[in-house]
Amino acid sequence: MFDAERFVNEQVGKIAETVKGKAIIACSGGVDSMVAAVLASRAIGDRLLAVYVDSGFMRKGETDEVRGMFEDMGLNFKVVDAADVFFGALAGVTDPEQKRKIIGEKFIRVFEKEAKEFGAETLVQGTIAPDWIESGDGVRDTIKSHHNVGGLPKDMGMTLCEPLWDLYKDEVRQVARYLGVKASERQPFPGPGLAVRCLGECTPENIEIVREACFIVEDEIKKASEAGKMDLPWQYFAALLPSRSVGVQGDRRAYGRTIVIRAVSSTDAMTAEFSKIPIDILDKMSRRITNTMKSQVNRVVYDITNKPPATIEWE
Amino acid sequence: MKVYVVDNGGQWTHREWRVLRNLDVDVKIVPNTTPFDDLKDLDGLVLSGGSPSVATDAEAMGNNGEYLDKATFPILGICAGMQFMCEHFGGELGPADEPEYSTVELHIDDHDCIFRGIPSDITVWASHNDEVKVPPQGFKVIASSPSCKVEAVRCLDRPIFGVQFHPEVEHTEYGEQLFLNFLEIVKEHKA
Repeated sequence: MFDAERFVNEQVGKIAETVKGKAIIACSGGVDSMVAAVLASRAIGDRLLAVYVDSGFMRKGETDEVRGMFEDMGLNFKVVDAADVFFGALAGVTDPEQKRKIIGEKFIRVFEKEAKEFGAETLVQGTIAPDWIESGDGVRDTIKSHHNVGGLPKDMGMTLCEPLWDLYKDEVRQVARYLGVKASERQPFPGPGLAVRCLGECTPENIEIVREACFIVEDEIKKASEAGKMDLPWQYFAALLPSRSVGVQGDRRAYGRTIVIRAVSSTDAMTAEFSKIPIDILDKMSRRITNTMKSQVNRVVYDITNKPPATIEWE
Repeated sequence: MKVYVVDNGGQWTHREWRVLRNLDVDVKIVPNTTPFDDLKDLDGLVLSGGSPSVATDAEAMGNNGEYLDKATFPILGICAGMQFMCEHFGGELGPADEPEYSTVELHIDDHDCIFRGIPSDITVWASHNDEVKVPPQGFKVIASSPSCKVEAVRCLDRPIFGVQFHPEVEHTEYGEQLFLNFLEIVKEHKA
């Protein structure tokens, strides 16, 4: 059976042995990278710097929340605002794989710069099994290039250290609980962030639409779950479709965007079942989105596909 | 107990490794180009699924045929692993009349080997484009679903088994029990 304590001891020992100089950790604030950060920090102490990149694709309030977590954990950390770089690089890009590759490359360039400044040669990442499985390799098909694996540029000038390589999310959570990491129960959020929830071009306007819709979906589902009306799904969010549809708002013709609500149950992200959200909660989310975002969105749909054949995220 | 997983490039190869590791098996994932001589001391072998269409791209299945010909220990083929096994011994494959993704209602006809102690009707998860049309001589079909007649097979004179669905994924009911049953067969065979 998987044993969190044994895992922590093994990995801390291994990192201490292999990372001789300084290292930076690519830290999004999610459970994977936070656990990797704690392991690395236990192994090499102050020789570690956690770097959080605000790509412009983070959720509402996320950067402040993550900053607070770093402060609580007493880690060396740095927050880098790189939104302009990411939006600039993605202008006109609509292909999902191309998006992921560009984002992966831009992340690494930021980390390289920060590593150089800090004097680090090692990049620690919270890569877990589904990241490399889905990114593909010599024998496996590429389902999607996870930015931290399939999106890495070939000319990267840092040595990688990925202590969570063989774990799935449920096991990472076990380790997080054992270590007392605050992010242990945060829902999964993809590395490329809202960029892969915005089908089509990632303009600041489009990202703002999906950010607000994601916030509403998260807020309503959390409230419903706290009120005992439903179990909290494994992951729940909104995606923005690139197509428009006709509507009518207060006797006026509307021609707006469509938001997809997605919620799934899973353990490890390798299979997922769409959540059977009570219809009144779906109704409430639909009305709140279309009422408060009326100038952008006039249609809301619910995704009722499992993985397989779909994936959890839309891109 | 030493049971390895042959990697045919499946999305869930590593899940097979995880389930076996959780059952305290001495397990390792090995490429399907590994020579049989390196595997001959094993107690059992799992042939994973994979993205190649076995019927048209048998080369991508590497040395699976050699393992099936030379091994005396039990083998469990999963998805493409089962399809290859069936074709290798003379069965026929083809595109599935109705491909199955996610839930499948499985009906089990034989509880003597890998389905010991598992109810006759359970929900399992699958993900396949091809299927076994005709099982090989000497093999018995031991489970089916409304959309796929050959969901599981056993060889009548060797401890070789195949499942079209995926017992290693979390959503499949009794998946771990199926692996426990396979390991029990491995143990009996070893004794």
